[in-house]
Amino acid sequence: MKNKMRGILAIIKKEFARFFLDRRMLLNTLIVPGLLIYVVYTLMGTIVSDIAGTGDSYTAAVRNMSAYIAPAFEQSEVFEITSATESDEYYTGQVRNGEIDIYVVFPDDFDDIVGEVIEGSPSSVTIPNVEIYFNSSEDSSSTAYSAFVATLDVFEGSISNVFDINAGEADYDLSTTSPTSYILSAIVPMVLLVLLFSGCMAVAPESIAGEKERGTFATMLVTPVRRSHIAVGKIVSLSCISLLSGISSFLGLILSLPNLMQGVFDVVDLSVFSAGHYLMILGVMLATVLLLVAIISCISALAKSVKEANSYIGPLNIIVIVVGLLSSFVGSSASPLLYLIPLYNSAMLVTDVMALTVTPLNFVITLVSNIVYACIFVFLLTRMFNSEKIMFNK
Amino acid sequence: MQEILSVQNLKKQFKLSYKQQRLQRTPQKMLTAVDGLSFTAYKGEIFGLLGPNGAGKTTTLRMLATLITPDSGDAIIDGCSVVRQPDEVRSRIGFLTGELKLEDFFTPDYLFNFFSDLYGVPENVRAVRKRELFSRFGIDRFAEVKLANLSTGMKQKVSLVISVVNDPDFIIFDEPTNGLDVLTAKTVTDFLLELKSQGKTIILSTHIFSLVEKICDRVGIIIDGKLAALGTVSEITGEKNLEDVFFDIYAARAGGTL
Ligand SMILES: Nc1ncnc2c1ncn2[C@@H]1O[C@H](COP(=O)(O)OP(=O)(O)O)[C@@H](O)[C@H]1O
Ligand SMILES: [Mg+2]
Repeated sequence: MKNKMRGILAIIKKEFARFFLDRRMLLNTLIVPGLLIYVVYTLMGTIVSDIAGTGDSYTAAVRNMSAYIAPAFEQSEVFEITSATESDEYYTGQVRNGEIDIYVVFPDDFDDIVGEVIEGSPSSVTIPNVEIYFNSSEDSSSTAYSAFVATLDVFEGSISNVFDINAGEADYDLSTTSPTSYILSAIVPMVLLVLLFSGCMAVAPESIAGEKERGTFATMLVTPVRRSHIAVGKIVSLSCISLLSGISSFLGLILSLPNLMQGVFDVVDLSVFSAGHYLMILGVMLATVLLLVAIISCISALAKSVKEANSYIGPLNIIVIVVGLLSSFVGSSASPLLYLIPLYNSAMLVTDVMALTVTPLNFVITLVSNIVYACIFVFLLTRMFNSEKIMFNK
Repeated sequence: MQEILSVQNLKKQFKLSYKQQRLQRTPQKMLTAVDGLSFTAYKGEIFGLLGPNGAGKTTTLRMLATLITPDSGDAIIDGCSVVRQPDEVRSRIGFLTGELKLEDFFTPDYLFNFFSDLYGVPENVRAVRKRELFSRFGIDRFAEVKLANLSTGMKQKVSLVISVVNDPDFIIFDEPTNGLDVLTAKTVTDFLLELKSQGKTIILSTHIFSLVEKICDRVGIIIDGKLAALGTVSEITGEKNLEDVFFDIYAARAGGTL
């Protein structure tokens, strides 16, 4: 038994040595991705808030300010809000002259209708219309308009989220959960999927196609080590390394989000997630990385060189991006069967975790199905290592 | 003379892709790389497979190393069939191709240990063997230096040593001096002669006449996957030199002219 495992262990040890003893490699896969994302997102956030904050804040006159929305503006200092007491014409005139940036009119019954929607029993089908007057020839007015609309969008998204999933649960605590999870569930899954993919891309083609290209694979195949052991050893070690890179990216991403959203919404609050949520994300990341590494390894085994492998894997990269985007648009799904779709299930599950709507069943389906798919690809990889047509193609 | 390798009517065809058909300007779908090859090698000798590019040398040696399976025929190495007992064959042979580029990142010491692990060489045996091989070939001076920082000659020594980590009695070298400068090539030939002096059997392929004349005991000339001549170097050359004899044979096979 010990003898049998020796090959797998030797291969895992070598891949780890290659990674952990190489300072440049460590830097490039562990530190740089997370740091880069953190810096870029923070910078983006700063720039956005700088633009949004020309003259530091905007002036808005608001009639019938909604009690649901007011807190979002109180927390941030983007808007200086005055309650409208004069006539509509007075304020539209001020917007036209540039004395104030925008004039917002909430309908009288806005809070009543929203309240009913949140409680899950809307009495009418009228959709309240919020009117925002702005002056497109004034930059600050246009930006103020966009920022106000964005805040309303987030709010709207958050109530329909709650409505979709928790219809009937009247005691659902809306105020602490909604904006954060809404924003995160829109951004994180797709970015995470793409980052995991690039983590796998950084190691798998080099380790499979690279060894083939250099002839070291043939040297390994002449040894008595089983092909299946080579395949398992490679997939396990490469997955661990890619997972570490994925965790680094994820930390960079999640820590930078409050900075990305700064000024526009001061509502990104990571404390709404429990340790269990983070563990679920870790589990999904592991299963996803296993699958991605296994797929990328199989494709790499077909190639004669790292360069060729990378060109084969290009289309897969596009699929990953599309799947990530799709999950942000489509949102979470009710049918557990959809959690059998590889990659899409990972993105959906992360969406669910972020939106605090994840169910244990969907988590287990995602985890197990991805691991099963990964095993199928490991089996396939073994077959490929056994095939002289593939390993010694011309 | 004790027989250690017996090649029996080995055949190997490759299916050509459309791209290969176009490149080689042939309408044929199949290419016969090795066409009924038979020969024997005896214990303790250096046997050379001499032939031009594309003659089928690499294909033959890969079949002997169990990397690819023959379409028909067999080869028996030290009593084991490459077709029926590939695992036994693998544990008995060493294999090195001139195209091998070991990973730059690792040290000779690390790679020696890695391949020893793959062969399942016990720790204590490995330590003794490593010390002996490293000192005999002067690797101990740079055993802890990454390959990236070594000269071509040093790297080649490391590759050679790696191919014998399991202390095989039968070693296969595919174009071991291909693309090497004269000094590095000398390192290689010295290494091969050293192995021979230890009683090991070597089969090598090459297209370099001088290498065969210098170190091979017997030689098989292979052209288009078929054996065109077989014997000791002096049997084949007689009064002439190997190069002239080769071109005579080649011209005869190709139908009179080169
Ligand atoms: N995997 C392969 N697929 C198709 N053709 C191949 C393959 N390997 C070798 N060949 C062809 O078989 C012939 C013999 O090749 P090879 O054994 O590499 O020759 P040598 O080593 O003597 O130069 C060549 O024509 C080569 O193109
Ligand atoms: Mg060759």
